Amino acid sequence: MNDDYLWDKTGPPDPQIQQLEEILGALSYQPKPLVIPKDVAAPGRRRYFPLLAIAASVLLAIVAAGVWFRVRSRSEAPQRQVQVQPQEQPVQPAPVTIPSREPNPRQIIVATNNRHRKTSAASALREREEALMAKEQVMLALRLASEKLSLLHRRTQSPTPANQIKNQHRTG
Amino acid sequence: MYATADMLLTSPQAHAAEQSQETAIEVVLVRAVLEGDRDGFARLYDLYAPLVHGILLARVPRAEVDDLVQDIFLHAFKKLHTLRDAAAFGPWIAMIARNRAVDFHRRTRETVEINDEVRGSNTQDSRAAEILELIRNLPEAYRETLVLRLVEGMTGPEIAVRTGLTAASVRVNLHRGMKLLREQLGFMEGL
Repeated sequence: MNDDYLWDKTGPPDPQIQQLEEILGALSYQPKPLVIPKDVAAPGRRRYFPLLAIAASVLLAIVAAGVWFRVRSRSEAPQRQVQVQPQEQPVQPAPVTIPSREPNPRQIIVATNNRHRKTSAASALREREEALMAKEQVMLALRLASEKLSLLHRRTQSPTPANQIKNQHRTG
Repeated sequence: MYATADMLLTSPQAHAAEQSQETAIEVVLVRAVLEGDRDGFARLYDLYAPLVHGILLARVPRAEVDDLVQDIFLHAFKKLHTLRDAAAFGPWIAMIARNRAVDFHRRTRETVEINDEVRGSNTQDSRAAEILELIRNLPEAYRETLVLRLVEGMTGPEIAVRTGLTAASVRVNLHRGMKLLREQLGFMEGL
């Protein structure tokens, strides 16, 4: 079967295909004008400038915010260190200086530095306050205990007067 | 019987020349429309309305085809700036038409098309509707190509250029689809 006619309408025509063309041609497209409403805007090429401008503005704002935060954190960091370091000394002075052992200065430095790195300034302040309060409580408790001990000691050392109860009884 | 290689390679220079001429016109028209020339789109509509009509006719009821053609071209007009390759306007709008046909069947309930015999029109139309129904029952790859060839009167090379399919694919689809249609028409007298 020669299908040139089916392919590009050349060669000897196939009567059955011709008949089909004739019948089905009644359903073919009948030209009608395209109606495009006037309010539909003509398609333009994509305008990238507004998008680029918005993206650049956002990027600039992010960079500026980042720089500002960095500068601010740098300027605040030394002040906090200055405030914290002298007050931390009374909190943890003792464990470092053990007289029997000769501590390796390198280890101490490393340990101190790590502590400084890990704890932020705020948490260091909080810890210091808590330590001071705990110390005061311990000191108060020790003072009370020593007072009681001294009182007991005085009572045991000095004899009570013999007529004290008697006198009290009398007066009461 | 399938198309042989020598049949597929008939005058390739002529096909290539035709294809490049078509795409050159498309590119000029698409660029003109993007620059604000509405008349350019009217030219594109004239060139491609039969293609869109044929693609829809192979898939949706006849009564819906004309409205859908208008909708598709209006949609294409609005979205033309999204077309990356101006030379691919044909394949692009063909794909829009196929997708719109799928959407149509998804949104509307299955309808029974009132054929022309019921409506009392002439015998020629009713026979055309019957044959179209036979074509619609063929595999999808064949029905679109057959409608474009037999209903819209396009040649195989034109179908290839406008749909973006290869000439070999169109030729094979035409040949196999016609063979199946002949078998279907075998029991119909008068053909």
